[in-house]
Amino acid sequence: MLDPDLISLIITLKLAAVTTFILFLVGTPLAWWLARTRHIAGYLIEPLVALPIVLPPTVLGFYLLILFSPNSKFGMLWTSITGNTLAFTFEGLVIGSVIYSLPFYVQPLQVAFENVKQELLDAAATLGAGPYDRFFNVVMPLCRRGFVVAGTLAFAHTVGEFGIVLMIGGNIPGETRVLSIALFDHVETLRYGRAHLMAAGLLVFSFVLLLVVYTLNRVRPGQSNRSAIGG
Amino acid sequence: MEISADIHLTRSAGFTLDVNITVQPNGITALYGPSGSGKSTLLRLLAGLERGRPGDRIRITNGNRVWQDETTFVPPEKRGIGFVFQQQQLFPHLSVQGNLHFAMNRQHTQNNLDAQQVYDWLHLTPLLDKEINQLSGGEAQRVAIARVLLNGAKCILLDEPLGSIDSASKSRILPYLDRLHRNLQIPMVYVSHSYEEITYLADYLFVLDAGKIKSKGSLLELSSTLELNSAEGESAAAVIQCTVSKHDLTYRLSELDFEGAKIFVNAQNYQVDDSVRVRIPARDVSIATSQPGNSSILNILEVEIVSFEEGPGPSILVRLRRNKQFILARITRKSLNILNLQPGQKVYAQIKSVALLMEHTGE
Repeated sequence: MLDPDLISLIITLKLAAVTTFILFLVGTPLAWWLARTRHIAGYLIEPLVALPIVLPPTVLGFYLLILFSPNSKFGMLWTSITGNTLAFTFEGLVIGSVIYSLPFYVQPLQVAFENVKQELLDAAATLGAGPYDRFFNVVMPLCRRGFVVAGTLAFAHTVGEFGIVLMIGGNIPGETRVLSIALFDHVETLRYGRAHLMAAGLLVFSFVLLLVVYTLNRVRPGQSNRSAIGG
Repeated sequence: MEISADIHLTRSAGFTLDVNITVQPNGITALYGPSGSGKSTLLRLLAGLERGRPGDRIRITNGNRVWQDETTFVPPEKRGIGFVFQQQQLFPHLSVQGNLHFAMNRQHTQNNLDAQQVYDWLHLTPLLDKEINQLSGGEAQRVAIARVLLNGAKCILLDEPLGSIDSASKSRILPYLDRLHRNLQIPMVYVSHSYEEITYLADYLFVLDAGKIKSKGSLLELSSTLELNSAEGESAAAVIQCTVSKHDLTYRLSELDFEGAKIFVNAQNYQVDDSVRVRIPARDVSIATSQPGNSSILNILEVEIVSFEEGPGPSILVRLRRNKQFILARITRKSLNILNLQPGQKVYAQIKSVALLMEHTGE
C-alpha cells in the first residue's frame, strides 16, 4: 500500500497532465481564433475566457456542482453515457480544471499567435501551403516558446488549484484528494511535519516552473518573428 | 497562364480601385504609379491575398477558370502563382536551405528547373547554411526569388522587390532579375514606383494613378511619352530597341542599328543580329540644328521634333522621332527660344550616354 501522500501526488500530476493535454487540444484553436478573428463574438469570448482569473474558485465550483448534478441536462446526459455522475469524481475534476486553467493556457498562446505576421502566412500560402500546413509548419514552430509557456502555466496552475477541487471533487482519498487538499488536511489535523514537507515541495516546484517560464520569455535568440532586414 | 482581372472596389479611406487588366502571357508586365495608386492592392488581388467586401465587384480569371468573383474564391495556395514581397517574408524558424526546401516540397507544378542552376544564377551556394537573420537585405531578396522559382510558380508577382534594399544592393539585384527574365518563360508582374526599375525591366506597362489605369502599352511605346516622363525630372528616359550590327574589337565597341542610324555602345556580350534595348536618359541628349562636326560625342542622330512639354520650369522635355521610335531630350527653355525649335523640324540629337539594357524577349 502506497503512502497516501504519494497517492495524492500521483493524482495531482495526473490531473495536471490530463488537463494540460485537453487544453492543448481545446485551447490552441481557441487561442488561434481569438488572435485572428475580427468577429464581434471575439469581444465576448475573450473576457469569458479570462473570467476564472478574477472569479473566486468557489463561485465557479458552485456552478459546476449544479451543472454536474444528475438533475441538470448536462448531468443527465453524462450519466446516460457513462453511467456515472461527475461530482466527486476524477473526471469532474478534469472538467473543472480545464475551465479554471483555461486563461492561463489561452492568454500566453494568444499573444504568441498575434505576433505571427500575417505576411509570413501570406508567403506560405502563395508557396502552396494550405491552412493546416501553414498552422503546423509555420505558426507552431514560430510559437514554440508560447506553447511551452502556456503549457507550463496551465500545468502549474492546475497543481495549485484548491477551492474548485474542494467544491466539486471533495476529499476522496485515491480519487480526488490532490496535494493542496492533503496539505489542508495535515494542517487541520496538526501534522505539521508532513505539512511542511508538502508545502515546501509545492513552493520549490512552483518556483522552478516560473523560473523556466520567465527565462524563456527573457532569452530571445534568433527565433524572433521579425523579418531579416539590414545586416 | 492567361490572367485577367476586372476590379471595382472601395475601401473605407475613400480609396477606390477601378481597373481592368490582362497580364501578358510572356515578359514582364509592370504596374507603375505613386504610393497609394492601388498597384499593390491589385497585385495582392491577383495572388488571392485580398478578399472582396460587400459592394465590391471583382472578377479574376485564369483562362477559362474563374479565380475570384461573387461566388468563387480560389485560395492563394491553389492559384499556382509566386509572390515576392517587399520585406521578403522568409521564415525565420528555418535556415536559407530550409526556406528553399519548404518551397520545393510544395511545388505548384513540376518544373524542370534544377536547384543547382537556380543557386548558380542567384549565387546562393555560400548562403545555404545561413540563418535568415544573418542575411543582408539584398541576400534575403535573392533567397526569396529562388524560393519562388523552386516552388514551380507559373506566374511570378513581385511587389516592390527592391523597395527595402539599399541602392548598392539594388543595382546588383537588377541584373539577377534581368537574367531570370532572359532564361525563363515565366510571365511576371512587377510593381514599382521607381521609373528607373521599370525602364530596366518592363516589357508592358500599366500606369496607375488614384486607383485608375492612366495609360497602358508596351514600354517602348510609353517610355518616350511626355505625359509619363514629365513628372520624372532627372530620371526621365526613353527606351529604344536596336539590333546589333557589328562588333569593333579595336575600340571594344559595338555598332547598333537604330532605325537606320548607327549607335555605338559596349555590347560585346551579344551576338550580331541580337535585339537589344537601350535606355537613353533625357538629360544626356542635346539638340543641334546643324550637323555637329568634330565632336567627342559618337552618337548623333538625325531626328524630327514631335512635341514639347508645356510647363513653367526652366528646362523642358522635347520628344524626338526617328521613323517609328522616339527619344527624349531635356533642354532649357532658353535654348528652345534661341534655336527657335518648332514641331516638324529636322534636328540632330547628340547623345552623351546610352545604357544597354537587355535582350528584349517580349512581343
